[in-house]
Amino acid sequence: MNVAEEMTPKERMQAILQGKDTDRLLVSPLVLNFASRSLHLPVRSFCTNGRNMGDANIACFKRYRHDIVYIFSTTSTLAEAMGTRMYFPEDDAPQVETPFLQTREDITKLKPVEPEKDGRIPVYLEAVKRCVDAIGDEVFIVPVIGAPFTTSAALRGTETFIKELYTDPALIHAIMKITTQSVKNLIDAYVKAGGVPVTVEPVATGSMISERHFRTFVLPYLKEVYAHIHSYSLPGVLHICGKTKRVIPCMAESGADILSIDNIDLKEAKELVGDKVCLMGNVSPADGMLKGNPEIITNMVKDCVIKASDNPKGFILATGCEVPLKTPHENMVAFLEAGRRFARLPIHVN
Amino acid sequence: MEKSDILNHLAQAVIDMDVTRARQAAAEAMSCNMDPYEAITGGLAKGMDTVNELFENEEYFVPEILLCADAMYAGIEVLKPHFPKEAAPNKKKVVIGVVKGDTHDIGKNLVKIMLDNAGFEMHDLGRNVPYAKFIDTAGELNADLVCLSTLMTTTMDGMHIVIEDMKKAGIPARVMIGGGPISPAFAKTIGADGYAKNAAEAVKVAKGMFQGIQIPLAMKIPELVSIRKNRGGVR
Repeated sequence: MNVAEEMTPKERMQAILQGKDTDRLLVSPLVLNFASRSLHLPVRSFCTNGRNMGDANIACFKRYRHDIVYIFSTTSTLAEAMGTRMYFPEDDAPQVETPFLQTREDITKLKPVEPEKDGRIPVYLEAVKRCVDAIGDEVFIVPVIGAPFTTSAALRGTETFIKELYTDPALIHAIMKITTQSVKNLIDAYVKAGGVPVTVEPVATGSMISERHFRTFVLPYLKEVYAHIHSYSLPGVLHICGKTKRVIPCMAESGADILSIDNIDLKEAKELVGDKVCLMGNVSPADGMLKGNPEIITNMVKDCVIKASDNPKGFILATGCEVPLKTPHENMVAFLEAGRRFARLPIHVN
Repeated sequence: MEKSDILNHLAQAVIDMDVTRARQAAAEAMSCNMDPYEAITGGLAKGMDTVNELFENEEYFVPEILLCADAMYAGIEVLKPHFPKEAAPNKKKVVIGVVKGDTHDIGKNLVKIMLDNAGFEMHDLGRNVPYAKFIDTAGELNADLVCLSTLMTTTMDGMHIVIEDMKKAGIPARVMIGGGPISPAFAKTIGADGYAKNAAEAVKVAKGMFQGIQIPLAMKIPELVSIRKNRGGVR
């Protein structure tokens, strides 16, 4: 990208975290499996090979210079490492095929993850290390972890799992304890590899469960996760896509410093929790990035910046959820250019 | 027990997600020689209508709906042997499924439950459904409505293919779509007849499509569906 900028993405983020002056806000589209496009890799060979996953993200960063480099393929990667069987389409994100906990009794077989050897975690670790070596001076490398509730749902089967919030709460807590330990093990491994891990909890979205269930079954475990992340002096980042208006106050109580949100008005989010947390969002992946055009995307970016750039605890311009695989190059460029233009400090959107 | 009490018990058991009480109330209804259709329409389905309202008002969420539906179907199982063996009422036929490439099916299941309750005859093709399967099934059943669901941006264009192929094959059924990345604008672009943002809205949209056409408020009875299938000469 031909953009003369004063700070590297890493310097910018460090300055923001330390409350110092920066040239502009962070512009961080959620580039996840989309990174595979930069090396023309089918998703399956991208996400099952650490070298590919790392190199594609390096190439993608060199192409777009987005402010955060994420390492991710699916929210179920941790569940996979703990025993859930996945299905790997040729050119799409992996999906759950057979949950590990087929019966209640299978819980006795469930063990906290060993990141160095279980599932595709070694693939992620290699990708993190390659990126840290190649571009780690300029940008933070951020592996994405399925948080406890989402990982537990993928271990038990989401439909069964959420019914058991009523019918078998003891089982839910038993699974959650083990997945929380797994998330902490994974955080340790990623930090050791030079990454800055973040967590995603989409199964706890407001269109799925009630605030009461969020408080009982999700919040205590998230608190444990962010306390662990804070023990490394790293910021806690919580991404929940879908509708979050109802649960965003709970999200802000989790100890997370940054909330990445999708289907909620940023102005509303700012009013609800802006005095507690930094907000991150929320250009529409489908209507904007995938189906929109540069003009539509520019307007969406502008709208986000107008609504949230004055958020008391800060704002990061992002997409609401993963940048779709088939997002046209010119749309990605439009997002980044509009972001860099409108997010200059002080903000002048016109 | 009064008839109205039994109907209230049936409805309340569904609202309270209570499988045991739903079975008990259904058995009570049969021991009082209640018309099983009435036990459903005035009891179980009425409870499910309330559940739908609670979902719309964001008092109930996905776990609640799934458990209420379990209670409703448990009650129906008890009533089923008592249905007269005659032709089913003229229900609108709906083919529903998650398009190829996507295995997320909770949203689709909620829509199925709600449309079933609203008096549609549901034919569920499951998840990761090949495009041709929608067209074949809609043709075989002479379906009135095809419902397509997806949670992923990578698979949403498959809906367009299904709609185009339906036109080519001369299938007259209407199409309703929904799911995480789907917007009304996208529905319009690909030529869908309807879009619903959630299961509660799906009922309104589907009913709206067939307004003026009587939709009997009776539940699906598998035996009768298969009888009609045989009459229609399913391959």
